[in-house]
Amino acid sequence: MTQETAVIENTTQEAAAKKEWQPTILGILCNWCSYAGADLAGSARLHYPETIRIVRVPCSGRVDPMFVLKGFQKGFDAVIVLGCHPGDCHYAKGNYYARRRIALVKDLLKSLGIPEERFHFEWVSASEGNRFAELVTEMTEKIKKLGPFEGVTP
Amino acid sequence: MSDIENKIQEEAKKALEGGDVSVVIGWGAGSAPFKTTPVFIEKPEDADKLVWNPACVNNLAVYLPKLANDKKVGIVAKPCDIRSMIGLIQEKQIKRENLYIIGLGCAGVVDAFNLDSQDFHLQDVIGLDWTSDGLKVSTTNGDYTLSCSDCLRDMCLVCTKREPAIFDVKLGEAVQPSDIRESLIPELAEERKAYWSEQFSKCIRCYACRQVCPACYCKTCFADRVEPKWTAKKATAEEAWMFHATRMMHIAGRCIGCGECERICPVGIPVAELAREMAQAVKDTYGYEAGDPNQESPVLGQYKEEDFDPAHHGG
Repeated sequence: MTQETAVIENTTQEAAAKKEWQPTILGILCNWCSYAGADLAGSARLHYPETIRIVRVPCSGRVDPMFVLKGFQKGFDAVIVLGCHPGDCHYAKGNYYARRRIALVKDLLKSLGIPEERFHFEWVSASEGNRFAELVTEMTEKIKKLGPFEGVTP
Repeated sequence: MSDIENKIQEEAKKALEGGDVSVVIGWGAGSAPFKTTPVFIEKPEDADKLVWNPACVNNLAVYLPKLANDKKVGIVAKPCDIRSMIGLIQEKQIKRENLYIIGLGCAGVVDAFNLDSQDFHLQDVIGLDWTSDGLKVSTTNGDYTLSCSDCLRDMCLVCTKREPAIFDVKLGEAVQPSDIRESLIPELAEERKAYWSEQFSKCIRCYACRQVCPACYCKTCFADRVEPKWTAKKATAEEAWMFHATRMMHIAGRCIGCGECERICPVGIPVAELAREMAQAVKDTYGYEAGDPNQESPVLGQYKEEDFDPAHHGG
């Protein structure tokens, strides 16, 4: 290691140590409601923690349970799935199918001992920008208290 | 029970002689008296190779998606095997009219590895049979009778469906063991993650659980896909977690609880325990049980507007 890189290394380490730990949250959002809701939060200049990494899907019915499992396996501190309210699906019934799948994902995570606080499922419409910002804030606070996710197989 | 064995052979012979059934799948004598092996009988004169005893463990429905697509297949089946077939019919993998089901009433089957811990050695066993008191084990040193809870497979002890749900011929009587246990699912609530972590660290990723599962008939399994790579090939606990968790999700509401995955596992991971929990969750939430001939589609292939809502209603 050269002197320069050592300096850089030390500086970044110091900076990291000073900075408070922030969780990384995987958000899987339906294009028609929840993603538009997140967009509204942005255009309304609402503040929320920069902890969420959003994956846009065409519908909550597109959310394969493997997306959630993979998120946890890859070490995200929490996973959020958001879709249109029942009855509001752009494709009429995608969110009804999603609802059954997500209910079973919750049961599976419980059986495998993944803390249920780390998984969150909610209906957020395109007009609920406020709710989206609130939700990310709440979730971030909750996960901060819980601490980093120690992995699926600690 | 040899009486029923004879009847099975007669029925298989009749079916093959009739001409429309091309093959009869059943159990044949295995390499030891406490083992059986799947056999595929194509000639009527070979029908006497079929056996029926407490060691007929294999769920033979696993062969059907490949065999019963374009021709009529006869199959000797326990009630649990038949529930697998009902699932395959509902999912349009096989046609009911392509099956000739020789359905058997069941008294449960034996976990051969549980026999060895008793008063005799497994290598001395010369025969197994059901009696009204339990399992009669004939050995070179005399006969022993074991209680059901000492020798039956776990899945048989929790099984309450011992009559074939659909069949063309029905043979034998269903027997409920007197010492049936309600459930074998351990209370692992706090230590679940550590427990499964330890179990999955044993996994060698041989995929035997998938191969033996009648519900795992996908032509390309997610585990074999390179793009997207859902789970890496290396045998770490974490990758095994991804494989098993996903498989559980794929068979949720479709698993009929035959327990073949657990029996076949070379390192003894109790995967069927997880599957049973999922099946229980499906039953509790949707009142749905896999392998019910009155259902039209799998639980995740249907919905009701008034379904349970897992969404968090924050505010």
